[in-house]
Amino acid sequence: MKNIIVGQYVPGKSFLYKMDPRSKILALGILMVSAFVFKDITHIIYMLFGVLLILKIGGIPIMRIARGLRPIMILLLFTFSFQVMFIKTGDVVLETVLTLTYINLGLMVLIILGWYFTRTYIKSRFLFLIFVILGILTMLSLFTPGITISSSNFVVYEDGLLGASFIMVRLIIIVTLSTILTLTTKPTDLNLGLEKILRPLNIVKINSEEIALIISIALRYIPTLLDEANKIMLAQASRGVDFSEGKIKDKVMQIISLLVPMFIISFKRSDDLANAMEARSFIPGNPRSRIHILAWENRDTIVIIFCIVVLISTIAVRVFL
Amino acid sequence: MAIKFEQVNYLYPSFDGSNFSALENIDLEISEKGEFITLIGETGSGKSTLVQHMNALLRPATGSVTIYGIKIQKNTNKNKKIKLNPLRQKVGLVFQFPEYQLFEETVLKDIIFGPKNFGVKEDVAIERAKEVIKLVGLTEEYLERSPFNLSGGEKKRVSIAGILAMEPDILVLDEPTSGLDPKGRDALLELFTEIHKKLDKTVIIITHDMNTVYKYATRVLVMHDSELVFDGNASELFKSENIVKWNLDLPDIIEITNQLEKKLDISFNTKPHNVDELFKLMKGVL
Repeated sequence: MKNIIVGQYVPGKSFLYKMDPRSKILALGILMVSAFVFKDITHIIYMLFGVLLILKIGGIPIMRIARGLRPIMILLLFTFSFQVMFIKTGDVVLETVLTLTYINLGLMVLIILGWYFTRTYIKSRFLFLIFVILGILTMLSLFTPGITISSSNFVVYEDGLLGASFIMVRLIIIVTLSTILTLTTKPTDLNLGLEKILRPLNIVKINSEEIALIISIALRYIPTLLDEANKIMLAQASRGVDFSEGKIKDKVMQIISLLVPMFIISFKRSDDLANAMEARSFIPGNPRSRIHILAWENRDTIVIIFCIVVLISTIAVRVFL
Repeated sequence: MAIKFEQVNYLYPSFDGSNFSALENIDLEISEKGEFITLIGETGSGKSTLVQHMNALLRPATGSVTIYGIKIQKNTNKNKKIKLNPLRQKVGLVFQFPEYQLFEETVLKDIIFGPKNFGVKEDVAIERAKEVIKLVGLTEEYLERSPFNLSGGEKKRVSIAGILAMEPDILVLDEPTSGLDPKGRDALLELFTEIHKKLDKTVIIITHDMNTVYKYATRVLVMHDSELVFDGNASELFKSENIVKWNLDLPDIIEITNQLEKKLDISFNTKPHNVDELFKLMKGVL
């Protein structure tokens, strides 16, 4: 649970922390649009370097972001392999025949079993898995003695490889940018910024203040609910629920024993919260005063101008190159 | 020794990288039979963390906890060969808030949930449920009710019944009497003494009520600032000067006796445990 980094504020002192949340949200929006405007792999890699530069200047350790990327690794891997497999234009980079014979089928099973039993001892399991998959593919293409069961062509095209890398880099950029925002902005500030930015929606009768409040309460309760979930797990473990093992049938029971108290407690909490807010005379829709007033400073203007310049140049690159 | 703590430290990690130390150098031995232990100390002193080590829910950061011959250390869980689950049947832990464990449709199903997890047959478990529901002061009609439509005190009793039905050797209760009315509280404490005396089991109770400590405990543990600062019997504890330092107070009966001694300028040789004893002492002096 410590890997959940998206939506988590970590205190710091760099300029990213001093910026107004409004300008940060705006900048994030503009930069994301720029990331989508690019069409070429080289350009987007330049942008990735730009993002790394922001991290460097902002004093955010890259390892921290990398840890935050771990949950979307699977997604990245999927998009990558699908792109590689299904884009069939451009030059052929690699063409090989994957042959499945009785001998290497047996070897494959052995390798998979080996992986299954050794994986708990390997530190970076994900890399290990990728390594094993690549190893099996190599074996299927190169080591093919014995009677063939089936064989198929495996062709990798240049466009597929480029497209896959392109989409991966773009995803990484987007996730990194949004992680920067949530890492450097307190949830309360973020919320206040969102509220101000969504203000124009009031014209179409959407109350930005309420939306902001809903978001802030949701964010506020994530750690609380995680904490509660942990306590429930301990309480149920005391009654013999073994969350680490068990058959499928037991697993269902385990999850129910966790979810039902979780629901009850969240409902109770929200009820308590509503009462506490009412006791402090909160009335939805009524104007409220604020402790924190956002201050827009020169650095915010500079950052926004910079972002707009980036956007314009990306559009220029897209149109003219 | 059923449970043995050796130089146990425990740290709660916090987000900024620093750690909050919840237990510091705890050395403690608890025998399987015949102890009625109360664990006291101010809030945040590490009482709950300590009891969660007793059935291997938490693993010490350094040091070791030995429970029924199984040694629990920092990385015990990594090694799947050691089964921690059976320990939780032997050391039954009742949490402070019943909301964390009640989840079934009926009280009966909730009570037999624990025993079934430990491999007890359903009909045996149901028989046990019928027994324990009466032990905790409810009637059999409650078995068919939903645990969520009960009052706070009733939920508490059902959660205790859920652990009792597992027939643990050692019963650990985290503030079992909070939120109960005086009558219900006394009834439950009587139940625990009965379990302690009749079945000769060890009972460990976390409490803030000094009267409970003085009246029932054969042994008192005091936690203060993550450390175990006192381990002995109640009379000794309440003679100690450190009571104020540890943010504890005196039981009512001792308070009264002290006041009497001061106001009447007399002194008794012993401290009374209840009103009758005080009365006898008074008679002796007058």
